[in-house]
Amino acid sequence: MTELVQLVVIGLSTGSAFALVGISFALIFRTTNIVNFAQGAFAVLGGQLTVWLVDKEWPTAAAAIVAVLLVTAIGALVGLVAVGIRGLTTPLASLVITLGVAFVFQALQLLAFGDRPHTYPAVSGRAWTVHGVVVQPQYVLIASVTVVAALLLTLVLRRTIIGYALVATSDSVRAAELVGLSLRSVAVVTFAVSALLSAVGGLLLTPIQPVNYDSDVGIAINGFAAAAFGGLVSIRLAFVGGLVLGVAQQLVVGYGDVITPQARQYELAAALVIMLVLIGWRSRKETVT
Amino acid sequence: MRLAATRLAATLAAGAGAVWLAYRLDPNDVPIYMNMGLAALVAIGLSLLMGFAGQISLGQGAFYALGAYTAAILTVGLDPDERLINPDAGIPPWAAVLVAPVLTALVAAAVGVPLLRLRGHYLAFATLALHLILIAALFAEDGFTGGQDPGLIIAKPLEVAGFAMGGVGDAARNLAAVIWGLVTVALLVGVNLVRSRAGRALRAIATSEAAAAAAGINVAAYKLRLFVLAAGLAGLAGGLFAFRLGFLSPDAFPVIISIEFVVIVVVGGLGSVYGAVLGAIAIVWLQDRLQQLGTREQLLGFDLPVQAPGVFRIGVFALILIVVMLFLPRGVLPALGDGLRRARRGR
Repeated sequence: MTELVQLVVIGLSTGSAFALVGISFALIFRTTNIVNFAQGAFAVLGGQLTVWLVDKEWPTAAAAIVAVLLVTAIGALVGLVAVGIRGLTTPLASLVITLGVAFVFQALQLLAFGDRPHTYPAVSGRAWTVHGVVVQPQYVLIASVTVVAALLLTLVLRRTIIGYALVATSDSVRAAELVGLSLRSVAVVTFAVSALLSAVGGLLLTPIQPVNYDSDVGIAINGFAAAAFGGLVSIRLAFVGGLVLGVAQQLVVGYGDVITPQARQYELAAALVIMLVLIGWRSRKETVT
Repeated sequence: MRLAATRLAATLAAGAGAVWLAYRLDPNDVPIYMNMGLAALVAIGLSLLMGFAGQISLGQGAFYALGAYTAAILTVGLDPDERLINPDAGIPPWAAVLVAPVLTALVAAAVGVPLLRLRGHYLAFATLALHLILIAALFAEDGFTGGQDPGLIIAKPLEVAGFAMGGVGDAARNLAAVIWGLVTVALLVGVNLVRSRAGRALRAIATSEAAAAAAGINVAAYKLRLFVLAAGLAGLAGGLFAFRLGFLSPDAFPVIISIEFVVIVVVGGLGSVYGAVLGAIAIVWLQDRLQQLGTREQLLGFDLPVQAPGVFRIGVFALILIVVMLFLPRGVLPALGDGLRRARRGR
């Protein structure tokens, strides 16, 4: 029982990072119809830049804030590129562009940080023990940040004029342009916000799971799977999806050796299978377009 | 009708030329010539998928690897303990090469059925995940696949009617000739597909899915067929790749190869089967150049770091993707063709 609870606790914390990335996917897709493959790269960059600054003797908080700001600016730029040229760039083209962007970041990180995993010390080395279950302060931090971010974002999208404006663009680019909103400015804003969220998720996850230049692919897949729970548009379901995925993966790691001794290698397989089953179930309801 | 006949004759002539070239090239160039043909096989399928279904597979490398391991494992036998002591374990190599595309196509169908009904590029992420999972499985099940060390050694040569294929020397030339012969067949199948009833349906889907559906075309079914065809071609290429060296290791199939197949299609033009072949030749050549450049110690007076080959390989292809998709989304080769035509008309 203790082991089960322990796995769930770890799963909820790693799942929170997936949830942040998943929310970012949903935010961008809902507002611009673009599936942003570079989402994982934002998370990894957040982690790598924080590690780089911490290694330069910066205080962790300052390093984290600067890293997040840098990634946010990068995100805005990526948004500008991903939207492409009006009338020429299709959603498929946008996906391929962001795919290119993700691998440009991989190349740059490989050049700057090498091909070893990097990490930095968690917020506090001291852990709480509740009935034999170890709870790292880092777990609590990452989970609470995720909850706050998800709530804030939902409120902004549902209750504010900025939120209406962002969502309106995905319904009809032309109608949004008539009231003075361009797809490009919407993309810059939502890519920046998603980059911020993913960077936060990435840098909070780094002390638990070290990042490497190519970690973005796995994070992107997990984040996308989380967003897929909500059909790529629901922030709330992306949040739930992330947590479910995180817990499911930990359970595979913890109990999978009943089936195969190499269960640890199949974390991602668990994510994919869950995604396929849920999407298969969803696709019966959704119309073919 | 005459145009179709001319095109058929030209394609067959080019195919015959490509097969002939396999016996004329410098022996050192034969391996890269084989790689070009294998990449072309994969790219023809992916180009049809991207051009007509508007979907992208980031896991063609996984189907390639799956085809390679299927052919290899069927050839050496399913039981790892039997492999070393029993030379008769397994099925004949040519049969294994034929099973490889069938199995990959079945896997693709299983993944594609739920995903291709949806918008939003679920297929892209699922196929990429498939690639990561396959790599993990190749490493994890090393008792079965040989893992990285010792890898999987295929002692039996691929032989049809006394012709040995793969390895070095004339056998390597034979394999290159077979590969390019198959590329020609795939080209003809691809062109015919685009020009048949199915092709008209596919073009309708490419123009407007809603309109195609309204005209009674089963959009999801056509997309699924393209995806399965693309996976099957990748599986076939993989099956042949297994016999190129007679040795397999998971290192040969990093995630970046799936991306490189996308680069080939993007350069050749989405939906263009001829472009896919030319793109494969161009990108595999560039890959080889970059590899040589990256392993140099110095470039333009700068010392190159040890990770330079990786940085070049990933970075250059990523930049090609971005630039081409932004400015020439129909592909580099179609754009060049348009430019030539315009220049000729201007004269």
